[in-house]
Amino acid sequence: MIFNKIGLAITFSPNGLPLLKSAVRLQKLFNCQLCLIHVGDKNPETESQIKNLVEKTGISEKSFSLIWKKGEPSKSIISAASENGIDLLIAGALEKENVIKYYLGSVARTIMRESPCSVLILTNPCEEPKEFKKFCVSVDFTSLGESAVRKSYQFAKLENAEEFMMIKEFEVPGLAITVYDSGSTDDTEKSKQEWQIEEEEKLKFFAKELNLTGLYYSTVALFGRQGWEARNFVKNNGTDLFVIPSPPKKLKFFDKLFQHDIEFILSKLPCSLLIIRE
Amino acid sequence: MSLSPIDITIFLLSISVILFFARGFGEILRYLKQPIVIGEIIAGIILGPTILGTLFPDTFNSLFNQSEEVVIALNGITLLGVVMLLLISGIEIDLSLVLRQSKAAVIISVLGIIFPFGIGFFSAYLFPQYLGLTDYNMRLVYALFVGTALSITALPVVARTLMDLQIFKSEIGYLIMAAAMFNDLIGWIIFSVVLGMIGQNTEHSLSLSSLIIVILGFILFVLLFVRKFINYAIPFIQKRFTFPGGVLNFIFVLGFLGAAFTEYIGVHAIFGVFIVGIAIGDSVHLKEETREIIYQFVTNIFAPLFFVSIGLRINFIENFDLVLVTVFLVLAFAGKVIGCSLGAYLGGLNKNDSLIIGFGMNSRGAMEIVLGTLAYQYGLVNEKVFVAIVIMALVTSISSAPIMNYFLKKAKTKLRFDMLLKNETIIFSKVKSKTELINELCTNVANYHKLNFNTVYNEVMKREELISTGLEKHLAIPHARINIKEPIVAVAIQPDGIEWNSLDNLPAKFIVLLLTPADKPEIQLKLLSDIAKKFNDVKIIDDIISSRYSHELISKVKQLY
Repeated sequence: MIFNKIGLAITFSPNGLPLLKSAVRLQKLFNCQLCLIHVGDKNPETESQIKNLVEKTGISEKSFSLIWKKGEPSKSIISAASENGIDLLIAGALEKENVIKYYLGSVARTIMRESPCSVLILTNPCEEPKEFKKFCVSVDFTSLGESAVRKSYQFAKLENAEEFMMIKEFEVPGLAITVYDSGSTDDTEKSKQEWQIEEEEKLKFFAKELNLTGLYYSTVALFGRQGWEARNFVKNNGTDLFVIPSPPKKLKFFDKLFQHDIEFILSKLPCSLLIIRE
Repeated sequence: MSLSPIDITIFLLSISVILFFARGFGEILRYLKQPIVIGEIIAGIILGPTILGTLFPDTFNSLFNQSEEVVIALNGITLLGVVMLLLISGIEIDLSLVLRQSKAAVIISVLGIIFPFGIGFFSAYLFPQYLGLTDYNMRLVYALFVGTALSITALPVVARTLMDLQIFKSEIGYLIMAAAMFNDLIGWIIFSVVLGMIGQNTEHSLSLSSLIIVILGFILFVLLFVRKFINYAIPFIQKRFTFPGGVLNFIFVLGFLGAAFTEYIGVHAIFGVFIVGIAIGDSVHLKEETREIIYQFVTNIFAPLFFVSIGLRINFIENFDLVLVTVFLVLAFAGKVIGCSLGAYLGGLNKNDSLIIGFGMNSRGAMEIVLGTLAYQYGLVNEKVFVAIVIMALVTSISSAPIMNYFLKKAKTKLRFDMLLKNETIIFSKVKSKTELINELCTNVANYHKLNFNTVYNEVMKREELISTGLEKHLAIPHARINIKEPIVAVAIQPDGIEWNSLDNLPAKFIVLLLTPADKPEIQLKLLSDIAKKFNDVKIIDDIISSRYSHELISKVKQLY
């Protein structure tokens, strides 16, 4: 099974229903449990609002569980996820936040950065949730990277996806400096091409070792700034689900100030994003 | 005041002579696999009072000492050269890399500064007479300067060396680059304080504490706000203005503004331009193309003017002081090599790799010379010390590559097939089946490397059952990740071929068993792709399997690399 328990924070905003419908669709697709989290007071009014929302999706009351939480939204959702064994949190997010929100952190962004489990961020949830057709996974050669590919590959198979692509970014800091002393751009260009081939070969072996069968996949090695290159590639490629293994360390304010890697992706989402955590 | 036609003629003539000699010697040094900057300095020594001035004083004087105006014009242009040099030195610093270094890189960076700085500082403070101090009022500043001078690492020379040794894209290369960038940043900050302190003793009014506050404030302002501004401005300029003209203009305008500001507050101009350069280089919108244009333009035209001009002002033979040179050399090697190697060792690297890093970080090249020149211009060091510093910079730069190469050859962490291949683990097999052959290979490896046969065999078979490891053109690479520290390879030759379920259905004749550390998945991928790439030709495989002895096979494999 890819995920055992999906968690969704339920809200009464315009995005509330589309998100709920998407979560229900994924619950059926993964054949797993669904857990709805509401952050706020439990009173007859909110209860009926939730009932109302759920009715619109046409699912029975038995097919999900409901958790009430109080307090700061992102923290409450995160703690609900770890207390209830949720392994995939779903949230909606704008592609880009304004500057103030970016530094202070919106609920969705905080969840992306601090969630203990995998997170699926939907950029355009709609009332008629569509399947993901073009998958793209950012690969690093670690066991988490392997697991991210395996999970998303299974996911793509369930969705009957048209495209499954693995990309590996590689960065060689200070490469331009080598031009500086010799004055020869040709040598540097040649090395760059050799590294490109080497990375592509490694990526092919990586994919082969995972023994993925049933769906055609392609591999691409990208040279450039980590995170930034991948984001632009995914954006231009028209991918609709981008999968990344989560960074090893929690991201702090400092990382927002001096963006790197994953921050480039989080600050300006290219499309829906699945962050794999274990 | 203006230049007369004869002055202009001489001025232009001298610049063309400087550029011609700079390039000529630069190319010779490049041919000898040495940094070009050394050639440029040698060109200066030859054109300057040391050689040309002694042998043909008239030619020398008419070229470089014609009139005061020409000298001032030349000085102006070399100032421009050094300012631009520091602009690109800033641009090439990868701020995000400096800020999120791995543990090993942090320790190397920190010890790589503290250790040489400490050695330099205390030697100069306690024994100033051996290090050429003349004015005892400047004892503290002088000690700080010597400390800084010893803790410099020249990024361009280091990068070039790593590229030539083919370890630029490796863990060691990465560590050295990260640490060298950090070093550069801290080195210039300390040096700017030192320069500010020299200014203090004369006419400037800023006290030391306010000077430090102004410097730190400037750094923070540029790296936080100006950096963000640049990141928004560059895409805007690229869209609205002509490319690359608009961006180039923007970069130089900002750079010179930064330079003017720091000069105004009493720290040298190069510091401001360096910090602005860092902010510019951090922008993801700055195109590789733009970088290269700036680099080419500055390093081939303006930087040589500066480096040649060093030799034009000083007689290197007259001011050569053997004791001073020796003292500087000993301190330089001791401080940097010990500091960085120790850092690497504490960061978890083995002794050999640590020494590679130590000597790699030891080259001081261009940056040291810039530092020495400024100190000389400010009157902090005399000619003799300056000559000693230049020689120290040259010797550390030249020695770096050969010494690194020596340790690289002895390195334990080998990530190439030919380096891992051992006589004892090559077998010429007669068995007919895949399982028998794997059994044979595993037995041999287990015996030689003292591993548990069952673990090795089971892991390899488990992997084999998942999906066949037969590649194309008679090559098969059975492999497994097991609990070992360094990768292991073993080879079997079976000229008749064994059915291996290969991609092209050909029987396997050249079989490589590959065992890699379980905790480093990337090593496996690297070696797999390395082997697959080298043996993707039937002719090569035929040649290899025609070998009759192990050593014959090894020498054939080595020829492929």
